[in-house]
Amino acid sequence: MTRYLLTRLGQALVIVILVTLITFVILHLLPGGAARAILGKEATMQQIAAFDHQMGYDRPLWEQYALYLRRLVGGDLGYSFQLNQSVTEAISQRLPKTMLLSVASTVLAVVVAVPLGVVQAVRRNRWPDYTINGLSLLAYATPIFFMGLMMIILFSQVWPVLPPEAPQGFTLAEVLADPAGLVLPVVTLAILTVAVYSRYIRSSMVDNLNENYVRTARSKGLSESRVIVGHTLRNGLFPVITLLGMYLPALFSGALVVERLFNYPGMGLLFWQAALKRDYPILLGVTLLISVATVVGALIADVLYAAVDPRVRLRAGRA
Amino acid sequence: MEAANQPLLRLRDLSTDIALRRGTVHALDQVNLQVGQGETLGIVGESGSGKTMTVLSIMGLLPTGGHVVGGEILFDGRDLRGLEDKELRRVRGVEMGMVFQDPLTSLNPTLRIGAQVAEPLRVHQGVSKAEARERAIEILRRVGMPRPDKIVDDYPHQLSGGMRQRVVIAMALIRSPRLLIADEPTTALDVTTQRQILELIDDLREEFRMAVILVTHDLGVIAGRADRVAVMYAGRVVETATTAELFRSPRHRYTEALMRALPESAQPDSDGAGRLYSIPGLPPDLSRPLTGCRFAPRCQFATDECRTTDVGLTPDGSGTGHEFACLHPVTGPVTIAAASPSVRTASEVSDPLLTVRDLVKEYDAGGTGVRRTAGRVSAVAGVSFEVGPGETLGIVGESGCGKSTVGRIVAGLEAPTGGRIVLDGADLATLDRGARHRMHRQVQLMFQDSYAAMNPRMRIDSILTEPLEIQQVGDAGARRARVSELLDQVGLPRRALERYPHEFSGGQLQRIGLARSLALSPRLIVADEPVSALDVSVQAQVLNLMRDLQRDLGLSYVFISHDLSVVDYMADRIGVMYLGKLVEVGPAHQVVRAPRHPYTQALLDAVPTPDPGHAPSPDTTIRGELPSALNPPTGCRFRTRCPLAQDICATEPLLQGATHQVACHFPLREEPPAS
Repeated sequence: MTRYLLTRLGQALVIVILVTLITFVILHLLPGGAARAILGKEATMQQIAAFDHQMGYDRPLWEQYALYLRRLVGGDLGYSFQLNQSVTEAISQRLPKTMLLSVASTVLAVVVAVPLGVVQAVRRNRWPDYTINGLSLLAYATPIFFMGLMMIILFSQVWPVLPPEAPQGFTLAEVLADPAGLVLPVVTLAILTVAVYSRYIRSSMVDNLNENYVRTARSKGLSESRVIVGHTLRNGLFPVITLLGMYLPALFSGALVVERLFNYPGMGLLFWQAALKRDYPILLGVTLLISVATVVGALIADVLYAAVDPRVRLRAGRA
Repeated sequence: MEAANQPLLRLRDLSTDIALRRGTVHALDQVNLQVGQGETLGIVGESGSGKTMTVLSIMGLLPTGGHVVGGEILFDGRDLRGLEDKELRRVRGVEMGMVFQDPLTSLNPTLRIGAQVAEPLRVHQGVSKAEARERAIEILRRVGMPRPDKIVDDYPHQLSGGMRQRVVIAMALIRSPRLLIADEPTTALDVTTQRQILELIDDLREEFRMAVILVTHDLGVIAGRADRVAVMYAGRVVETATTAELFRSPRHRYTEALMRALPESAQPDSDGAGRLYSIPGLPPDLSRPLTGCRFAPRCQFATDECRTTDVGLTPDGSGTGHEFACLHPVTGPVTIAAASPSVRTASEVSDPLLTVRDLVKEYDAGGTGVRRTAGRVSAVAGVSFEVGPGETLGIVGESGCGKSTVGRIVAGLEAPTGGRIVLDGADLATLDRGARHRMHRQVQLMFQDSYAAMNPRMRIDSILTEPLEIQQVGDAGARRARVSELLDQVGLPRRALERYPHEFSGGQLQRIGLARSLALSPRLIVADEPVSALDVSVQAQVLNLMRDLQRDLGLSYVFISHDLSVVDYMADRIGVMYLGKLVEVGPAHQVVRAPRHPYTQALLDAVPTPDPGHAPSPDTTIRGELPSALNPPTGCRFRTRCPLAQDICATEPLLQGATHQVACHFPLREEPPAS
């Protein structure tokens, strides 16, 4: 197990380094440059050259990359002039809020999607299945910004029970102090996830309900609910683990559209603004974080799989 | 055997329909059966005969769309069809127990053995967790599970197939049922394990005084274990009698045909090869209305009366309860054992087509799993044999013995770890890529599951043309001609070319598989369990075809199978493998009738014979499980289970002898003098 983890971590490290290299190169090949973005349209060539020299932007690309890596090892992600704060600080300010939004919506989605998927599987090809299927297809096909707008119109204009804007605040505590403002962004984000998850759970449960072990369970004279909850559900939920692992990067990167729509000060908004302003240090830092989250997410999903599925946990010997 | 005045279970005119998207299949049509306490009823029939649907109807476990549409299921005098759901579940969970066909998939992979075994107690009797565990250990010990106190906390995948079947049996028995239903309980298991499981069910029936319904396609299994037998065909019971009576004088023409189709009853013909009786045609489509005797279209004795009159079960008048539904019944006795052992002229291995020397194949254990296990699995450990032109070498052995690996290596699908393979005088290891590629023309493989081995989206036309294209044989016109010729050879109509694999039956697919292996005019065909998935009557058709083609084309076969009677029928010489080693090889009739290795003897004794009078000798039973190939025993690999093993067996015995060779320090017999 240890050896397996070490191998996987080594692979993950290589992937992360490759990702930083690719992002670094692409960002620096973009026309325009950071100097113009910071100094403004009226900056003279001399000013730009001086800025570039000061920041080291006139050195060869590989040298810049080496410098970047060296600072990275020391835990320094760089400094953003536009925000006038270090990248680490900018990220640590927004990351908790984004994670609050993502975790809350994912938990909500799983809590709703699992029973829906199970009901669909048990009543498959009958009206509950068709109804849920139709609704989730509709949710899946609706663009998320449109969905968000509809939510705002419905719940803060037509029937004004909820604020249209997410809580604004510097710290997590400030955001949490206004839970009503979180409802719309969390629900909007969750609706799409429910649509995806319930379809996975449905098909996985349908497969499992056709397995021989379910027939064995029925032959013991178990009630239908015990057959489903006690025997089938656990096996049917395995795909969800993989889905959750794949979802981890989204947890960090934030939901760009939803954060924009509700003006929620999270990672998505940070990345969006940095991209507009060519804020290289922020872009690099966020990309790095997401790539780390991606590989770690895959790793966690595998380990989690081993924890719940005894066949993976104890697989010994033959392939 | 009990005199059953009041049978425990009685089916009266039971009819079951299964609604499918394209119509309704009338799976059961007025089935009448009964079982008394302490009695074993055997139900035999081929696939689609309704034997499994009968027991699923009793248990109320019909698949989606399945419904009992008529008749009564009287269990202890009460009609189960009229019971409330809750009461029905109680009857199912407490008074009945069922053992399923495939032990590998009938247990929940993520629940511990103990929890699964004791679940009926927890649910129906409200037994505490601790007591349930104790009871589970107790019943696991009773079904012969080693170290039950440890296994109770294991997961299913940690156990072998035989052990898992014991778990399923334990699960059925823990509620002390009055009726045990076993649906093909040993079909997925090896013969030595099969014997252990069948003996266990027998013992438990006596101990618990249960009624047992044993469903199987294997007449041998029925002959040894059942008190009474019901033969089913196309959703109906066509004959029922005591076991001894049925095997002595079957009356229904279908029963007779089933018995004649067994490889054991091969009748010698002019060239001494012997042909099997095969039933022409296929069982009827049960989604259409049927009139008359359902076997009539395939019966050579059928008259117009058979095709129009509905024939019911009628007693034969002897008062023994022998009933049959046939207008032109068999009058004389039917003998299964061949009149004379089919001795095929063992061809002299003067210039072998294939020579295999010291073949070794090892696999890395573990690999990409979460937990890596160091070590190597020794799948094949120094196997040597020859196959002459026009000869059939049978390779038998239980699962995991390496027989399929040998076949795959010979066919060039896998590279050996060590050893030499000489084909037609050329050592495969010395050939360059191109020459090896061309070598594939000489050796072709035929698979067990032809459907899985064919691309479902390719028409038969493309499936048969593909090998010719890969090997660049002829132009398009020549290939078309060749494909038509192949179809003629395997006895399929030309219009089969435009169809897809799913449109064919198992036997037809096996013919197509054979045609594909013949496409490149190979000299050797490696057939890996070619008839294991087929019903007896269809198996006979395919075996006959393989023999005809061998005679006409001068083919050699390496015929791999776990079924000794089939290999005995097909092979000139037989090699017996155990855990990667060839332990015995010799002329087929000698290996089967006068085996020299104790393992061969045990294997032969474990095969159930379709003869109720035959009692297997108890002292040759081998117990326990096949050791792991990861750390095989040193010396003779069989010594850990061998009744004759002594200290010297720790040194490896060599394969010795002239024509009938054995690798054993204490061979059961001396080699007969060469004739």
